[in-house]
Amino acid sequence: MKKLNTAFVWALLLVLVMFFAWNRQSDNPAVPFAQFLADVAEEKVAGIVTDGKTLTVTTRQGELYTTRGVLDAAIFEKLSEQGVVVNYETSALTGWISFLIPVVLLLAFLVYFLRKSQAKTTNILSLRRSPHREISEADSQVTFADVGGCENAKEELGDVIDFLKAPQRWLDAGVRLPRGVLLEGPPGCGKTLLARAVAGETNAKFFLVSGSEFVEMFVGVGAARVRDLFETAVKKAPSVVFIDELDAVGRRRGSGIGSSHDEREQTLNQLLVCLDGFKRNDRVVVLAATNRPDVLDTALVRPGRIDRRIRVPELNEAARVEVLKIQTRGKPIDSVDLQEIARLAAGFSGARLENLCNEAALLAVRRSKREANSVRITREDFVRAMGTDLGQDQRFNKLDSLLIESATQLAEPTGTARVRLSLLDGTTVQGDVVWADAAFLKIRNSNGDPDLVVAKRQVQQLEVLPGTDAAALDELQVDRWAMRSSETV
Amino acid sequence: MGENWLVERFIFWIPLVLSLSVHEWAHAASAKWLGDDTAERLGRLSLNPLDHIDPIGTLILPLLGVPFGWAKPVPINPLRFRKDVGMNTGLWLTAAAGPASNLLLALFIAGFVGIAASISPGLLPDVAMPVVTTFIVLNVLLAFFNLLPIPPLDGSRVVDAIIPDSFRPAWDAFAPYSAFVLIGLIFLPRMSGLDLFAWPQQWAMQLVHLARG
Repeated sequence: MKKLNTAFVWALLLVLVMFFAWNRQSDNPAVPFAQFLADVAEEKVAGIVTDGKTLTVTTRQGELYTTRGVLDAAIFEKLSEQGVVVNYETSALTGWISFLIPVVLLLAFLVYFLRKSQAKTTNILSLRRSPHREISEADSQVTFADVGGCENAKEELGDVIDFLKAPQRWLDAGVRLPRGVLLEGPPGCGKTLLARAVAGETNAKFFLVSGSEFVEMFVGVGAARVRDLFETAVKKAPSVVFIDELDAVGRRRGSGIGSSHDEREQTLNQLLVCLDGFKRNDRVVVLAATNRPDVLDTALVRPGRIDRRIRVPELNEAARVEVLKIQTRGKPIDSVDLQEIARLAAGFSGARLENLCNEAALLAVRRSKREANSVRITREDFVRAMGTDLGQDQRFNKLDSLLIESATQLAEPTGTARVRLSLLDGTTVQGDVVWADAAFLKIRNSNGDPDLVVAKRQVQQLEVLPGTDAAALDELQVDRWAMRSSETV
Repeated sequence: MGENWLVERFIFWIPLVLSLSVHEWAHAASAKWLGDDTAERLGRLSLNPLDHIDPIGTLILPLLGVPFGWAKPVPINPLRFRKDVGMNTGLWLTAAAGPASNLLLALFIAGFVGIAASISPGLLPDVAMPVVTTFIVLNVLLAFFNLLPIPPLDGSRVVDAIIPDSFRPAWDAFAPYSAFVLIGLIFLPRMSGLDLFAWPQQWAMQLVHLARG
């Protein structure tokens, strides 16, 4: 909360105090109750409004005054004899305002200070609460349709989801569904995404927690958190508990320097116990993800605990196409052959493909700004984005200039080699090769421009033009790089 | 009065909060003037009540009707005073600055009211009088009360800094019991009718009457 300005606070408080003072002032003059009784005796009273304790009296002269006292039966009888109107009500407006404002102010101040003090101190008891986040179906935007590839994993997880949705068929068949499912595979291949998709697909409660969030400085806290997590999960069953980076707590016991890590091992022990603990119809499924299945404690992955292991493999080409399709959904794609991109992006994980599409879109926006037209993502954007992803910088850097300086024109072609280079930044260079070494080409332009040094990694496509000597052509083709580039990249 | 008791409390409480802010600001400002910027760096060189409010001492107790309160104390580091200011001198000056500021504030408001009244009797509406009176009386009382030489009041710090060495053992012996003395002083008037604060209150009321002409 931003602190209020000094002048503002003073003005506010001063206005308030004046308001209160005015409020008090506007009350009618108070007279002793005896005076009121005397007035009643003298039949001066015309009307009374009372809230039970305070009487506001109107005299026959039209004057107003207040007095404190109770109308007992005797006075009341006298008043009704005189035909005085007695109204029981609270003086509505001023009464309420003068009552409410202080209370509201007081509450506001209290809340303000409570919040302030809460922010400062961490309650030791709150350490024992599980740090999980609960994701409801509505919160999760991800479904299986958003996961490209991983068909095998999807199918197996589909069983789990179906078990949570309609357990009866499975129970009738005597199927014991896995208590725990371990998603294992290299980083970025969609383990967490799959888990989030499960959250989106099932109507069960989804608890998301990371293995590293359990372990705390104090021994016992992690175990308490595991207990708390599973208690909550069982209470809200059917539910899915997703433990990301399981190896943070699930590491084999008794390993490592000093051979023990009390807090982590205790956390793991508690996790093992809790995994055993569900009854058969508890309908709690533990999903775990790790890219280090080899270091997991064997007790954790024994049958009856996290026994179903689903491998989330690296993506093959078909899967990459699918991922690209998903990732370019809603992006202004300019008839790009995704099949080709997928082939080029061999070995890319899902996360990297996502990054690739994002980078391509970014480049397209940059280009459309420069050319002042609408954003279209082209094939070139993808190719350049891939260059960025692979760490290929299209600009010259300091190292380049050093290398060029020391370049020794070892590879001067024996004859004329006439080439056209399409560079990654979209420009084209055409001319004769003066020399070429491992990293650079020097191109001499026919129309008298100064010679141009081009880094090979800038080149997207090399085209050999007519006029090239056969010997020079041979040399260019012997160069493995040149061979590759003379294909369509 | 019924629901009006809270209104009454607020007419008392708002001036109290503002006066306490001035009081704490005076401590911080005098320390800054003498070279110690500890309070400033903690953000206490400020007239903003929000910087000085103590939830219990400034909010709850006074609003519950307990007839005293406190704000967060402003820390003073005597080691940071300028070289030409003695540590003891600096300490009693900063300690006295708080009550002095309240006294000055009371005199200032009284003077303001006096001038307003002498220009035109209607310039200051009657509605404002309870507030002005509260301000003056409250500030005089705050100054008087804080100057009592009882730890942890400001007066005790003045005494602490200027007391001759020969009296120091007696003073140190008294200090541990000061809390009881203080509580006694606050609640004695109610029980015995011996009101230590009657005199400054009368003086303040005279000031008010003087100001109104």
